[in-house]
Amino acid sequence: MNKILVMIPAYNEAENIEKVVDNLIENYPQYDYVVLNDGSTDDTRKICARRGYNFLDLPINVGLSGAIKSGMRYANCYGYDYVLQLDGDGQHDPAYIEKLWKCMEETNADIIIGSRFKTERKPFTMRMIGSQLLTAAICLTTRGKYIGDVTSGMRLFNKKMIKRFGYDIHYSPEPDTLAYLLNCGVKIEEVQVTMHERTAGVSYLNLRSSAWYMMKMLFSILIFQWVRVRVKEESDVHNS
Amino acid sequence: MSTTLRILLLIAAGSTAIWILYKIRKLKVKMEDAIFWIFFAVILFVLGFFPETAYWLTGKLGVISPANLIFLIMIFFMMEKIFTLSILVSQLEEKVTVLSAEVALRSHQMKDDKKEEEKTAAEEKKD
Repeated sequence: MNKILVMIPAYNEAENIEKVVDNLIENYPQYDYVVLNDGSTDDTRKICARRGYNFLDLPINVGLSGAIKSGMRYANCYGYDYVLQLDGDGQHDPAYIEKLWKCMEETNADIIIGSRFKTERKPFTMRMIGSQLLTAAICLTTRGKYIGDVTSGMRLFNKKMIKRFGYDIHYSPEPDTLAYLLNCGVKIEEVQVTMHERTAGVSYLNLRSSAWYMMKMLFSILIFQWVRVRVKEESDVHNS
Repeated sequence: MSTTLRILLLIAAGSTAIWILYKIRKLKVKMEDAIFWIFFAVILFVLGFFPETAYWLTGKLGVISPANLIFLIMIFFMMEKIFTLSILVSQLEEKVTVLSAEVALRSHQMKDDKKEEEKTAAEEKKD
């Protein structure tokens, strides 16, 4: 069995983190996990320390991409083969990890996205219109590659992606990176999952910053990705 | 607006855009920070390529000449950038302060833990 690391980025998730991690420890002991406490100002750190969780305690808030970067470096340092990103708010069900991993084995893909919209239609809300816009932008710039759920936070990465995400300024865990990676010849697949509504706390991405987020993503996908150096990935079928 | 000024504007727009894109390629700047400069370049380009917009704005704002308007716009952009940078520097300074405090605290804790371990080890030896 290959080593899978479940990394759980958490920013002010005191109300959720205990439930998420306890569920993981009790029901899925086969996976190693690490909580990435991204400089939370609430009791997240205290809870992790008190319960004796395995956690990286970032002293200041560096944002989601910074937290992911430290998680990827952790995975690389301890020699993990796969990293699964699981949000600390209880939206993602660890039961799907098995399914994602199987899909990675079968398709030999580099990234598997736990997607809400692989087989199901997107609902018609403001958020999903934004999501659809990004899907269209990715489709346009990658010659027709379709990713339904571009903003899903549940992703499985293989070793090659761990190295990429840990050590490059431009690799944020966002849709623009997916577009860039697709153009590098990286294989990305989706698996249908069901996500829960968050039970407590507030989302990383609040409504106020959504417009700025959309602008960043569109600029990055439509303009900036063309000037980036493309580190090609040969799809080796005989891998493992 | 003189042809020389227009050409200067176009050169400035072009070099700004190329320079910032080159910096992205070289992994020297985050992509989100480049958006400002792309906007800046686009506005310089519009003013240089379509001087009618400059004339129209000049009339609207009651500025004497389009050249003055261009100065005004440039100063406005610079002020905005200085303002946001100043705030950013403050935040970064605060972060460095917190970071160094945390590093000091944690290394102190590690030392304490070590001492305690040595103590218990010594006591065990005695027994």
